[in-house]
Amino acid sequence: MAATGEETDGRPSWLVRKIRGLLLDISGVLYNGSEGGGEVIPGSVEAVEKLKAAGYKVQFCTNEDQCTREQLVHKLARFGFKLLPTELHAPSPVARKLLQERNLRPLLLMHPGGLAEFEGMDFLNPNCVVIGGAEDQFTYERMNKAFRLLLNSDNPVLLATGCGRYYRSGSNLLLDGGPYTKALEFACDVKAEIVGKPAATFFLAALEGIHVSPEDAVMIGDDIVSDVGGAQACGIRGVQVRTGKFRPEDENHPTVKPDGYVDNLAQAVDLILKYN
Amino acid sequence: MAAKIRGVLVDLSGTIHVENTVIRGSIQALQSLRETGVSVRFVTNTTKESKETLLRRLTGIGFDIKAEEVFTSLTAARRLVDQRNLRPMLLLQPDAIEDFKGVDVDNPNAVVVGLAPDCFNYELLNKAFRLLLEGCPLIAIHKVRYYKRGDGLALGPGPFVTALEFASDVRAEVVGKPQPSFFKQALYEMGCDAQSAVMIGDDARDDVGGAEAIGIKGFLVQTGKYRDGDEHRLANPPFAVCKDFSAAVDQILTML
Repeated sequence: MAATGEETDGRPSWLVRKIRGLLLDISGVLYNGSEGGGEVIPGSVEAVEKLKAAGYKVQFCTNEDQCTREQLVHKLARFGFKLLPTELHAPSPVARKLLQERNLRPLLLMHPGGLAEFEGMDFLNPNCVVIGGAEDQFTYERMNKAFRLLLNSDNPVLLATGCGRYYRSGSNLLLDGGPYTKALEFACDVKAEIVGKPAATFFLAALEGIHVSPEDAVMIGDDIVSDVGGAQACGIRGVQVRTGKFRPEDENHPTVKPDGYVDNLAQAVDLILKYN
Repeated sequence: MAAKIRGVLVDLSGTIHVENTVIRGSIQALQSLRETGVSVRFVTNTTKESKETLLRRLTGIGFDIKAEEVFTSLTAARRLVDQRNLRPMLLLQPDAIEDFKGVDVDNPNAVVVGLAPDCFNYELLNKAFRLLLEGCPLIAIHKVRYYKRGDGLALGPGPFVTALEFASDVRAEVVGKPQPSFFKQALYEMGCDAQSAVMIGDDARDDVGGAEAIGIKGFLVQTGKYRDGDEHRLANPPFAVCKDFSAAVDQILTML
């Protein structure tokens, strides 16, 4: 299938203005996850290398909160990607920074695999809740603990790594942290602060790290709302790949119209190298 | 002139008892109420236990309450399941499942959620979520946010129903308080219109707000789950705010 949004000379409309930097989603763009670890999306390894060789500034924006950045780098290395932890922008380190700035002691409702990102923090007598894709940790008693903390707080703070509804793991669909965040919001009449995608602060901080301004950047992701809609809301061009969680219905999304579609990351990079 | 009060709806947990403890003065107050000849119905979202267990608990701690006077959201849900011939996955405590005796639960085509701390784990909620994604209806016994248990406040089914709704994009049908249909059914059984009825409860939103939405006078008691200022969190102030059930009854006795 051809990339959509083309000008007459073949230049896609999302490349009319020059880009200097890219934000790339990881899961569904670089690889497809599954219980066994997943598989690389063909062409993605070479695409990332070509981008870097051409001098583009790239940050990888992920809502991954079930492992540390180091672990994710290792996992990606198995697929052939050569990334550094500093090239990854993930919600847990951002949450950690926020907590430190505001002098908060968190109760973590997180997956055990991602806890190391919070190592060394003060967890005694917690005064806020950080919630992520905690899976089996979402027990009734742990949810109750979080609920009571928020209810008894004069100024309740609920930080959520993202607001995804569910994700696929192998052949199963699993509840993400979003539904549990909604549960606590409903129980305590509070509004969660989203730390990861689609929060504008998250995209902007990623761009700050590579010194690129929003109008000179493009975000490439498979999630129409969180990746594309989130980026567009802060002035970043949003391009959707037809890989990962992409569904054909996404092209008729009621509120989000991407700046462009590409079949996969490889096609996006070829277009960039040709027209930018 | 204001209509005379002919029917009194009373919440149970947090209003006249908390688990096995009577809220002071409630047994005596209920007796005084009965002596006036006014109709009394107990409307409860207490869905952790079957009606039978609930009755045994209440009579065990000294209340004079009959089975036909208790109207629970669990029995209302059972009625709905029967009417529509559903085979529900029941997210209910084992005891509450008693009220669904005889219902076919194999190969489920619906999800029923009540107050079920033992079921609100990741595995079962995922199972329920996948049924909803396949298009099964979601029936909530009620959407209460939290309740009072021995060691403090604890999450009710409302937050978990909300989680399932958000995950699957399916809206729950709620059968218990504060649904108008639930209060109306109780009024119907008493043969009493809304203007001549009062509702006494500790939940500002579900007892008082729900009752007042259909014209019943709401009495908010400051026991159970009541927290300072709850009456101000309602869109309209309640008809009355009372220290406890027995104070509410004292005021009602002057309105008969």
